[in-house]
Amino acid sequence: MNNNIIEIKQLTKQFPVGSSFFTALRDIILTFDKGEFTGLVGPSGSGKTTLLNIIGSLDTPSKGEAIVLGKSISKLTHKEAAQLRNRHIGFIFQTFNLLPVYTVFENIEFALLLQHLSAGQRKKAVMEALEWVGLTDKAKSKPAQLSGGESQRVAIARAMVKRPELVIADEPTANLDSENSHHILKTMKQLNRDLKVSFLFATHDEKVMQYLDRKIILKDGKVVEDNVLEAINL
Amino acid sequence: MIQFIFKGIIRDRSRSTLPIIVVSIGVFLTVLLSGWMKGIFTDMIDMNANFSTGHVKIITRAYAENESQIPNDLALLGTDTLVPLLQKQFPQAEWVERIQFGGLLDVPDKNGETRAQGPAFGKGIDFSSPESKEASRLNIQHSLVQGTLPTKRGEAIITDDFAKRFNVKPGDKVTVFGSTMDGSMAFKTFIVSGTVRFGSTLLDRGAIIIDLADARDMLDMDNAASEVLGYLKTGQYNDEEANAIRDSFNTKYSNPSDEFSPVAQTLRQQNSLGQYLDMAENMSAIMTFIFVFAMSIVLWNSGLLAGLRRYTEYGIRLALGENKGHIYKTMIYEAILIGIIGTIIGSIIGLAATYYLQEVGLDFSSMTKNVTMMLPPVYKAKITPELFYIGFFPGLIATVLGNALAGFAIYKRKTARLFRELEV
Repeated sequence: MNNNIIEIKQLTKQFPVGSSFFTALRDIILTFDKGEFTGLVGPSGSGKTTLLNIIGSLDTPSKGEAIVLGKSISKLTHKEAAQLRNRHIGFIFQTFNLLPVYTVFENIEFALLLQHLSAGQRKKAVMEALEWVGLTDKAKSKPAQLSGGESQRVAIARAMVKRPELVIADEPTANLDSENSHHILKTMKQLNRDLKVSFLFATHDEKVMQYLDRKIILKDGKVVEDNVLEAINL
Repeated sequence: MIQFIFKGIIRDRSRSTLPIIVVSIGVFLTVLLSGWMKGIFTDMIDMNANFSTGHVKIITRAYAENESQIPNDLALLGTDTLVPLLQKQFPQAEWVERIQFGGLLDVPDKNGETRAQGPAFGKGIDFSSPESKEASRLNIQHSLVQGTLPTKRGEAIITDDFAKRFNVKPGDKVTVFGSTMDGSMAFKTFIVSGTVRFGSTLLDRGAIIIDLADARDMLDMDNAASEVLGYLKTGQYNDEEANAIRDSFNTKYSNPSDEFSPVAQTLRQQNSLGQYLDMAENMSAIMTFIFVFAMSIVLWNSGLLAGLRRYTEYGIRLALGENKGHIYKTMIYEAILIGIIGTIIGSIIGLAATYYLQEVGLDFSSMTKNVTMMLPPVYKAKITPELFYIGFFPGLIATVLGNALAGFAIYKRKTARLFRELEV
């Protein structure tokens, strides 16, 4: 049985720069299986974030194809792409990006509001997500009252609350100290193992690499290495 | 989702404070200025109606052509039958006779020799009938500066400016020289019972008001009147009712080939009051339009600034699976909520200020000393039912339009570009 959740076929992405084009990704061919804990690794400008954006249906390929959870990204309408993100893909950002005027509970709840779940269903799901990240006591706090590590854990809960098949994390540890980095990586690894959620990272943080099952190295928009690793077992 | 948006508006002061202040100020000004302008125009129209035009005026066709000259030789005859006929045929209005006249006012000294003289505009109104509302219609009681209203035949009131100029006091005698309706000389001496100031230069410059019966005696106008004025019993001028009376009267009693036949005119047809009526009626719409336009520009700009500041939020919401159309829609919902909050605040303050101006008004009489139009001395606002809801038009339209214009930029932006502006 085909276990692929992402299939990248001869993908090229170009951006217009003046009268010419800058090629950010070039002929990428990759597949990702369900339940992977994979990192895209490379220096700045190597194309990690561009690839994540396309996989996350926020951008489209210039050439080639990206099939995510059975859907070809370039063929999706705006609404279909939004629905794919809302139902099946969670995002974790480097700068946490919590909405400052809302409480932790409300930040996590927002994704479920878009799914038109009842208040009871939303509350149950949010509290469960907060339990996963160990922040049930912070439900009523505002993002400004949280530490960096706590904020990122809330961001994980927000990404996980809708039980997505895939979580995309762009440099999730870049703004965290070592202790917090390990804490959130352990949390993500545990969610990956318990809920069978696939995680796809863009990172150049050595700490992240210890947890990866697979490391894909990008350089100048090309895949230069694709290694299966022996990751830390929790 | 509405609850989520509402929480955002309430908690994020920078998102709501400025727009709410702008909307509140705009709505406040719309309500206040609409009420005030409506009040001014209504007062002006009422003043003209009470002093000069009535809601419907009946005069002869010939008199109508030369009305500015007050040609009493062309006055209505047989008013003793005309007025009861009008009362019977058109009971929705109250019908009153008036005599206008021009003449010379002579102030004698103690020997009966002329001490001072000046031109005067005269008005004969019904002071003596117990059911007459003429004195209150012309607001004479409240305009009295000295003395009292005429209580018996042979008494007159004159304007206070006139009295001061000629050093006349209540109890003094004045003689009016004029011409009868047949063209012969007329004069009659009156005792000044009081002096009045209406606050309108046109009226206060030099006027004498006498009883209708005295005017008839003096001007040989038995069963005659310069004009018969009709006042709708609702107290307010109404075009439809006035037109119905005019059309019905003219069809039945007016003969275009007979210059002495009576003709009915509505207030709208006289003294360019039609334009003022239109302005009074449209004032709310004019004010609304002005403030919708001005506030939309301000709110568009504040919406753009807020939009720029909120790119991060929009990027996060896109990532969480909200589509751009939905984000745009929530911006409109926000605008509606802000518009409603701002409109309620602005309407309450606007109505309070309008009420204050309705009761107190602003006295512009010193600025209109040389104005020859019939203007009220104190400009008062008027609270009308529409003031309770009129603010919702500029309040809601401007916020929605402002946010819609501001949000359009976000809507047009590519998802990936918006997302990159998250600076992730």
